[in-house]
Amino acid sequence: MTITNDSEFKSAIAKLPRAGQRQVGARFAESVLALCKDARVKHAIATAMRADTTEDELAAALDSAKKASVDSFTLCGKECDWNSQAGHFVAEAALACLKSGTTPAWDAAMHARMARTSESIATGQGTENAESAAQYRILTAFLKA
Amino acid sequence: MSATLAKGINAFKEVIDTPIASYFSSCVHCGLCAEACLFHNETGDPKYTPIHKLEPLRRVWKQEYTLLGKLGKMLGLSKPVTDEELTEWEPLVYDSCTMCGRCSMVCPVGNDITYMIRKMREGMSASGHAPEDMKGATKRAIEIGSPMGIKWPAVQAQIKHVQAETNIEVPVDKMGADYLVLMSSMEIINFPEYLSAISRIFKQAGVSWTLAPDAFEATNSGIQIGSSDLAREIVSRIVVAAERLKVKCVISPECGHAFTAIRWEGPNLMGKPFGFEVKHILEVLDELHAAGKLKTKGKDKRPLTYHDPCQITRRGGVVEQPRRLLGSVAEDFREMPDAGVMNWCCGGGGGVSANSRAEPLRLEVFKVKKRQIEATGVHTMITACANCRIVMEEGLEHYHMKVEVLGLTELLAEYLVEGE
Repeated sequence: MTITNDSEFKSAIAKLPRAGQRQVGARFAESVLALCKDARVKHAIATAMRADTTEDELAAALDSAKKASVDSFTLCGKECDWNSQAGHFVAEAALACLKSGTTPAWDAAMHARMARTSESIATGQGTENAESAAQYRILTAFLKA
Repeated sequence: MSATLAKGINAFKEVIDTPIASYFSSCVHCGLCAEACLFHNETGDPKYTPIHKLEPLRRVWKQEYTLLGKLGKMLGLSKPVTDEELTEWEPLVYDSCTMCGRCSMVCPVGNDITYMIRKMREGMSASGHAPEDMKGATKRAIEIGSPMGIKWPAVQAQIKHVQAETNIEVPVDKMGADYLVLMSSMEIINFPEYLSAISRIFKQAGVSWTLAPDAFEATNSGIQIGSSDLAREIVSRIVVAAERLKVKCVISPECGHAFTAIRWEGPNLMGKPFGFEVKHILEVLDELHAAGKLKTKGKDKRPLTYHDPCQITRRGGVVEQPRRLLGSVAEDFREMPDAGVMNWCCGGGGGVSANSRAEPLRLEVFKVKKRQIEATGVHTMITACANCRIVMEEGLEHYHMKVEVLGLTELLAEYLVEGE
């Protein structure tokens, strides 16, 4: 099956078991990892991607991703640096796939797209965002594997 | 006397109106405001007594507007307010007051101490005694139109993201729409889920609404630093856009002080009544719910509580609406001790979260919120202010508490009946 739009994307994600959602959500986060300099996020994504991760490892990764997310919020009244904000959304994507939400992979995908949107605002290169197409390819490959 | 000090003293004289004069003359020095203050309550330090934070303003009132004070000044019996004194008072007025209004609630003679602090900040700001971070935010609000430097293209990028996510068109510059939706910088930067949630809710409810490129920003740093001229300028942008688009109502977002600025101070700043209504988003959602237009399905099974943002609940009067809305989607809603109009502030209101110098004190006083949450035993907290949300996230992380914080509009959207 080849994913070509958000409707197919959402539907295919919804059919995945919880572990599958975590693993593919982590791949969406990994796709924008270059926008984040935080080693805690990199480690959390690597942990979430593995199929053989233990519950303790997942809990530790969740804590790390949460800390990275809170540390990277832009506080009220502070000047927004959209490059840093892109990093924050990568942390949010990592956090989303580790949390006990109902749609972790979808949430991770949306945060990863916001990371790319933040990057486009920072560079002033318009609002085009090709991340959704990249995510369709990632999910297609994941389902085939 | 330096020129800036003279400017500050003049601003003090100008803000001393009838209410402030009567408040100072009727204070009975009972100390009840101290017990109500977040900062005094958590530190026990008497310098955080709310009425004490106003001491320079009180001296100017006494020396300039009372007979005994004038005599004392003539005879050299009372000392003039100095730059050094204002430097000493700056952290009391900006770092240790969130203008939460709890002190005003308990004053036995009805003094609105929060109103006095708001006015005192006019003189502090005019004399150059405001925190550097807040000066920076104010400069950006004047030059860019947003204290956090947000420009319309950033909002457009978020609109595009939300449209792709929801498959719903976000209306912009729609003439004759019923509602003009404002957002806070915080929602634009940190919480795109807010715009996504209202897009979905309004589509289901059949609400006619719009954003405006010249008035998307609700954040008003003029209110926080104490500059009525700037506050008026920011409010006027919204008024001009609302009148241009001929909307019936302006919706203030999940942001505390923005609601105070546009709803309560707005008409006074402009010197005229608005030709449109101003409502908080929770008021609008509650009305839609009551009219049967906000349909939800299922309930959140997690035990959860609600943090009342001071400017929305205590100062703004939006108390029952969030509880009715939560009742429709929460199976196990638990009130915190002191919830409602006497809730404790998150510690970051009134510009405190924008002031990095205040961070250690802000985290210190978060202990009261920690106790409130622990008393409920929940791991999910709902609120309706993006600033409270981030301040609490930081406090929770600092005290190693595993509690998730969500916006109420966002929570409602999770249980929305869609596509039927």
